[in-house]
Amino acid sequence: MEVLAAQIVNGLSLGSVYVLLVTAFNLLLLVAMIIHYSFPVIVVFSMYISWFVMNLSGSIWLGIFSAVLSAVILNVITAPIFQHIMKKRGEVDINATMVASMGMGMIITDILSHVFNQGFPIAFPDKLTGNDKAPLIKAGLITVSQGQIIILLSSVIFVIILFWLLFKTRTGRAFRAIAEDPHEAKLVGIPLMKTGFKSYAITGLLGGVTSVLMAVLLGSASAGLGDNLGHKVLAVSIIAGLGNLTGGLVVGLLLGIFEAIIQGYFAGSWSNTVSFLVMLVIVLAKPKGLFGSNI
Amino acid sequence: MSLTLFYYLSITAIYILMSWALYLPYRVGQLHFMSVANMAISAYFAAIMAVNFSLPFGIVLIAGTIIGGIIGYIVSIAIGDAPCFSVVIVGFTFIYLINTIVENMEYLGGSMGIFNIPKVLKHSDSNRAFLLIIIYILVLFTGILINRFEKSKYGRAAFTINANKNIALSSGINIKKMGMLLQTWSSSIGGMCGVMYAFIMRSISPDNFTFNIVGVCVTMLFVGGINTMWGPLIAAPLLWGFPLILPEKLQSWKIVLYGIFLILILLIKPEGLITREWIKKIKNKYKRVIEPL
Repeated sequence: MEVLAAQIVNGLSLGSVYVLLVTAFNLLLLVAMIIHYSFPVIVVFSMYISWFVMNLSGSIWLGIFSAVLSAVILNVITAPIFQHIMKKRGEVDINATMVASMGMGMIITDILSHVFNQGFPIAFPDKLTGNDKAPLIKAGLITVSQGQIIILLSSVIFVIILFWLLFKTRTGRAFRAIAEDPHEAKLVGIPLMKTGFKSYAITGLLGGVTSVLMAVLLGSASAGLGDNLGHKVLAVSIIAGLGNLTGGLVVGLLLGIFEAIIQGYFAGSWSNTVSFLVMLVIVLAKPKGLFGSNI
Repeated sequence: MSLTLFYYLSITAIYILMSWALYLPYRVGQLHFMSVANMAISAYFAAIMAVNFSLPFGIVLIAGTIIGGIIGYIVSIAIGDAPCFSVVIVGFTFIYLINTIVENMEYLGGSMGIFNIPKVLKHSDSNRAFLLIIIYILVLFTGILINRFEKSKYGRAAFTINANKNIALSSGINIKKMGMLLQTWSSSIGGMCGVMYAFIMRSISPDNFTFNIVGVCVTMLFVGGINTMWGPLIAAPLLWGFPLILPEKLQSWKIVLYGIFLILILLIKPEGLITREWIKKIKNKYKRVIEPL
């Protein structure tokens, strides 16, 4: 029982990272109308950039800043590619955006595995991850580190800010209008491309923050991490129902907790197999998602 | 025959078949990556059967194809008419699942893989020639089958499903059955490729069947042209061949180049290099030459 409680505590921080990734993915899907499969690859790329800057300058804050900046820049400069494809929406279907995103992921993953650290996994300094400090709370097997609390708090804050933005501001109203019906939104005078562009910037910001949180949580990164996360994020959003924001929150958090629990009970490398099997069974049984899709 | 030429010809043939395996379910608008997972399953099956039980090549090839088909059929019962992205995620999950299972099992060689898969024929030159003949017969056979399928009423039904699901439904086409047929077919092609791959490379490891292979096949399919079966046939030799001409330093950046090609083709010509209209034009020209005779 104590193992279960301890793993649930660990899973909360992992789950909150998934929640941020899935929310950004869903936002891109609803507002920019693309399936950005490789969005987590961009996040991992910013992790590498922040590692590079941290090693070069020795300053953690500069590293965090550069991670956020690189994610925003990368998302904004790739936006015209997707928007060009989306303009021909009549001729090509939404699959094309996913294939373009996969191409982007191929390029970035290959660059990561060639250029940085000769292709070996990178490790973040202890100053950032806080591994050298004693845990804040320790009760039996349950330990809560400073990093976990930072991750949980900041992801809650960012999700709240995002939902405030979506439901209380003018931009958010435009976002929701596009998500509801692009044609009607165009009729009432919402600029589709410009609003879509805003969503790229916002998700870039979110991705940058997530990359820093992931660096704190995992303490290391490898080139294959992006593909792995991309697969998990797409799986979560399909299980929750594509474009279902609240569903994504629930399933993302559940996946994190579930993975942590499995890690507590199965030997290290088999735990992935179990979580893939469960994912597969759910998708096969409910191909259209548990909570219904908005697309 | 030199080793480079042998590998170029045989791997090209495998990529043609694998791109066709992706092309078939795309007829009904599904990106079905199960064929890559089935390639891994059948390759391991072939390796184990040949190394541990010394079964003959012919039986292994047939059994591997059937295993691919059966797995594809079982999966297609659940996702025969599922939306595209559910199909995508099932394929990816299978690929990752097979990878983690193989890496964890000592019997399958772990992350090192299986070596020393026996030659089919004793002499290495005749072995290579034999394998090349077999795989090109398979390419020809599969190509003719796909061509016949496209011209039949089933091919037209699949085309209708892709164009408009409602029209397909109201004209009495069973969408789920068509999806199941194409997915099963695609998976069995994947299984066939896996067996051939194991015997051609003579050593396999989990690294051979990762996300990269999906990327390469998707590039070949989309660059060649998603709407005709001739696309992969032209694109696979070109795309697999051109990095061999490049200077050695650039060769390791192959995947980056593929990614750039993929994005460029989607931006400039989303239909791919070879379109249906183009093929019609060529056919008409050909007719004009033939008819006066």
